[in-house]
Amino acid sequence: MFKWSIIFENLPFLLAGAWTTFSLTVVSMIFATVAGLLVGLMNMFGGKVIGAITRVYIEAVRGTPALLLILIVYYALPRIGFNLPQFPAAAVSLAVCYAAYIAEVFRSAVESIPKGQSEAAFSLGMSQAQALRHVILPQTFRRVLPPLANEFAALIKDTSLVAFIAMHDLLFNAKIIGARTFNIMSPYIGAALIYLIMTTPVMQWSRNLEKKVE
Amino acid sequence: MTGDMLSQGKVLVVEDLHKSFGSLEVIKGVSFDMDFKERLVLMGPSGSGKSTLVRCINWIEPPSAGRVTFDGKLVESRKYDIRRLREDIGMVFQQFNVFPHLTALQNIALGPIVVKKVDRKAAEAEAMELLAKVGLSHRADHKPGQMSGGEQQRVAIARALAMHPKLMLFDEPTSSIDVELIHEVLDVMVKLADEGMTMIVVTHEIGFAKEVADRVIFMDQGLIIESGSPCEVFEHPQQERTQSFLSKVLLA
Repeated sequence: MFKWSIIFENLPFLLAGAWTTFSLTVVSMIFATVAGLLVGLMNMFGGKVIGAITRVYIEAVRGTPALLLILIVYYALPRIGFNLPQFPAAAVSLAVCYAAYIAEVFRSAVESIPKGQSEAAFSLGMSQAQALRHVILPQTFRRVLPPLANEFAALIKDTSLVAFIAMHDLLFNAKIIGARTFNIMSPYIGAALIYLIMTTPVMQWSRNLEKKVE
Repeated sequence: MTGDMLSQGKVLVVEDLHKSFGSLEVIKGVSFDMDFKERLVLMGPSGSGKSTLVRCINWIEPPSAGRVTFDGKLVESRKYDIRRLREDIGMVFQQFNVFPHLTALQNIALGPIVVKKVDRKAAEAEAMELLAKVGLSHRADHKPGQMSGGEQQRVAIARALAMHPKLMLFDEPTSSIDVELIHEVLDVMVKLADEGMTMIVVTHEIGFAKEVADRVIFMDQGLIIESGSPCEVFEHPQQERTQSFLSKVLLA
């Protein structure tokens, strides 16, 4: 049976998990955004070989579960000598995964800028890199923010996958409370509420930005 | 060898230029040359290849075949050469293509700052002078979204001039502008011509061509079919296709 008291009594433990969820999200997102921008640019402007390599990476990540990547990085890589502690292993996996999605966000934003913009930049004598830096990317900034905020909200939820490597995130801690108190419903509802408190403002912000861009 | 001989004193020599998009050949072998300070007007029906031709001159569309000699140097398809070429050739587009995230002033100063590594203060001071020249001093801090088409196009002209080009290309500069604002842009172009700017203008503005052009080139189906002084081409067109095009434009 659902009991508020169970949530309140175990709130510090739930919040400790929520902190792990939040910090993991932020760290992964920062790396994923930087890597995603680089991968997206390499995919578009890196030439045939680099373009093909990055395309394979993007499609491979998009076509496999994020959980699989987490399990590979945490359990399989140590077998061949890459031993990462829990938090870095989780952050690397999620960043590698989300960088692929974010690369596509940047790609579609760059492609949405009219061709005349780069033609004008080139006609002034700019190189591809100069045109990107001074003309194209500044214009994509407003367009990438809403989809990036969406990815951020999705990442908050996907961090729950780290429960599979026994990381004490929000979901895993909720599960522990359930086992400890023999009340399974209450801690899960509590976790759901905390997830919503984290994701709702981000998604609302994304919607507001979208309206502004239009 | 012939290129070098031809290019004596010429700003631009185009020899047997071809351009195809896939299997569609848009320019089928065009040759012409230009003296410094010459004003050339390119005319012809839509699809005649005139826009593509000017876009080939600064490699915005790389030519499929042929030779372009600019300022005495044969243009090679190497990235560095192409960039140097574009620094010396200003281009004004039909759709303006001003940078929407920058103010009028920043639009004009960007090229010199990024490409020529001019100090920001100096570049902005010159940008202010250019804004005055195109009659937009009061718009310096406005972004393109707050400006009319005629104003945006004048910013685009000033942006090209900021690079001190030896040749200016105008690709239908007034075709996207409200009729009552076209004169703003044409006035600026006439002023440039009076100052001795070398220019190629793709336009249907016969009044402008008559006033400014040293030579009118008429294109159809990817070829030059007639060329001469405005008087020759407009008053005594030799080709039937020129005659029928002109009668349509003059009626419009």
